[in-house]
Amino acid sequence: MPAITVDNLTKSYGQTLALEDLSFRVEEGEVFGFLGPNGAGKSTTINVVLDFIRPTAGEVTVLGLDAQAHSREIRSRTGVLPEGVETYDRLTARQHLEFAIDSKDADDEPEALLERVGLVDAIDKKAGGYSKGMSQRLMLAMALVGEPDLLILDEPSTGLDPNGAREMREIVREENARGATVFFSSHIMEQVEAVCDRVGILRDGEMVAVDTVEGLRDSVSGGTSLRVTVDRVDDETLQAVRSLPDVSDATTEDETTLVVQVDGSKTAVLSELEDRGIEVRDFTTREASLEDVFQSYTTGSEVEAQ
Amino acid sequence: MSSETGFERDAESDSASPSPSSSVNLESVRAIAKKDFQDAIRSWLFWGLSFFFFLLLVGVTGTLAYFGEDIAAEGATTDMLVFFTSEITRVVIPLIALILGWKAIAGERETGSIKILLSLPHSRKDVLLGKLIGRSAVLSVSLIVGFGLAAVVVAALLGAFDIVDYIGLLGMSIIYGVAYTSIAVSLSSLTKSTTIAGAAMAGVFLVFYGVWNTLSTMFGLLAEREILFFDTVTYTGEFDGQEFQGERLQDWVYFILNIDPGEAYGSVLTLVTDVDAIELQVELNEQMFGGELPFFLQDWFSFLILLFWIVAPIAVALYRFDRVDL
Repeated sequence: MPAITVDNLTKSYGQTLALEDLSFRVEEGEVFGFLGPNGAGKSTTINVVLDFIRPTAGEVTVLGLDAQAHSREIRSRTGVLPEGVETYDRLTARQHLEFAIDSKDADDEPEALLERVGLVDAIDKKAGGYSKGMSQRLMLAMALVGEPDLLILDEPSTGLDPNGAREMREIVREENARGATVFFSSHIMEQVEAVCDRVGILRDGEMVAVDTVEGLRDSVSGGTSLRVTVDRVDDETLQAVRSLPDVSDATTEDETTLVVQVDGSKTAVLSELEDRGIEVRDFTTREASLEDVFQSYTTGSEVEAQ
Repeated sequence: MSSETGFERDAESDSASPSPSSSVNLESVRAIAKKDFQDAIRSWLFWGLSFFFFLLLVGVTGTLAYFGEDIAAEGATTDMLVFFTSEITRVVIPLIALILGWKAIAGERETGSIKILLSLPHSRKDVLLGKLIGRSAVLSVSLIVGFGLAAVVVAALLGAFDIVDYIGLLGMSIIYGVAYTSIAVSLSSLTKSTTIAGAAMAGVFLVFYGVWNTLSTMFGLLAEREILFFDTVTYTGEFDGQEFQGERLQDWVYFILNIDPGEAYGSVLTLVTDVDAIELQVELNEQMFGGELPFFLQDWFSFLILLFWIVAPIAVALYRFDRVDL
């Protein structure tokens, strides 16, 4: 049974279409990265999943239950880290957690939960004095209450420093190892590729790609990007490099830097340059990253997508 | 976005399936009320309020003790205390309830923290009821603290002091406060903008303290000139042994005037206290209706009006809030 099934989901606000005929599933036990630029419709999707907003058309089931009709039961088995939310200024971290524990009829200890997210030192401080990162840690701790079957994390790295983001990913792995399905939204590929089994890329309210991390990586052509620092470069040289058999694209970054997308031999590029009497001062190569995949899917350019 | 410019329309109107009506779970309501109370009780507003009620009672008592030797001689000091205090609380309690309830829901929607509440297994109805109970508790506890502390001073200054009247005033003030809290929380749930919610609160206050208070004058003027269906009724009354002829408005006009929660609060005090000043007023009114008040002017009906103002707004909000996009 899939943890989340979204079928032909459409949500419109008057004339504005936030989601258009969106369909995807999140399998039980996986970590699913829900990726897309800001405004792509990630939060709208999550809001429908949690019944914060109602769909214009389409169906959503969560843990096998209809998202609208059985919302309370779904939420009793789900831990949520909502996005762009303020905590209660006058309540301490302990009170926030006691409220969540009370609400879910769970028997967690606030100390133990805050220990996990690294906020135990501030347990009796009012949340009004917390930094953005501390609030985020507190809300992550609230999401963990009651060992949920499903974790929905909406932009969980917001406000976290790199170390905090790493700790957060560690918790995602722990929860997944315990058996929880994790649905994790982000606009930064780097944060999902390290933990996600599968990634779905959303753009303008439509899913443009769903695949494993490896699958997405394989979908990129021009596997390597070669960066060459030279003494000079002209259009004629650029054309010559572009016409080489293994080269898919070549651009100049500035007057002395050349960026070449190359699928096979790099030496052919360097030889071509030297044959033309251009001095190669330095060069570096870089494997195409998932960030490039993400870029290609979300900016609409066809530079690298096959 | 449908809701950014004003009160929002139903999400239902462009929804594929009818929006489900959420259920009420008492445990959830209790958890939300408790959290809301914990949150509010730490605010300066709560302590300020308690202190204000304390000062109000002590102030009225002090004035009575200073000027009121004659009143004291008649043993009517608690009556006067209840009478003067209720005249002030009648205006002040709505103001406080509206301020306390103003952001109850709209504020949480504006900051997004309502998603914390609703990510947990609470229904939207639970949230509304929990908020109403939480905010009502804050107002009630501040009234109880203020009245409680003041009781000591009142007893010391006035000597004789009728505890039943005093508690009656406190009890009715609480019910009156809950009615306005219900109005405030319900209006707050109709919008996600605290600015609009604030304007709605001001609107409510203006309706009941501006418009309603001028209604009787307005109806009077209309009746004198017999405009439309307005007319006056002549009656015979007796005051200080002297008979007199008076004119009053038609029955239904009094009904409208009495729907104002403030008016209801004033009349319902006769139900729980035996304050002479208020009783006298009722006696005069009875004469206007030939000896017996119509049912809608009797004190038990005023009590029903107060209950109506608790139940009706929250009932509308409970229905409506299930059907909006947050």
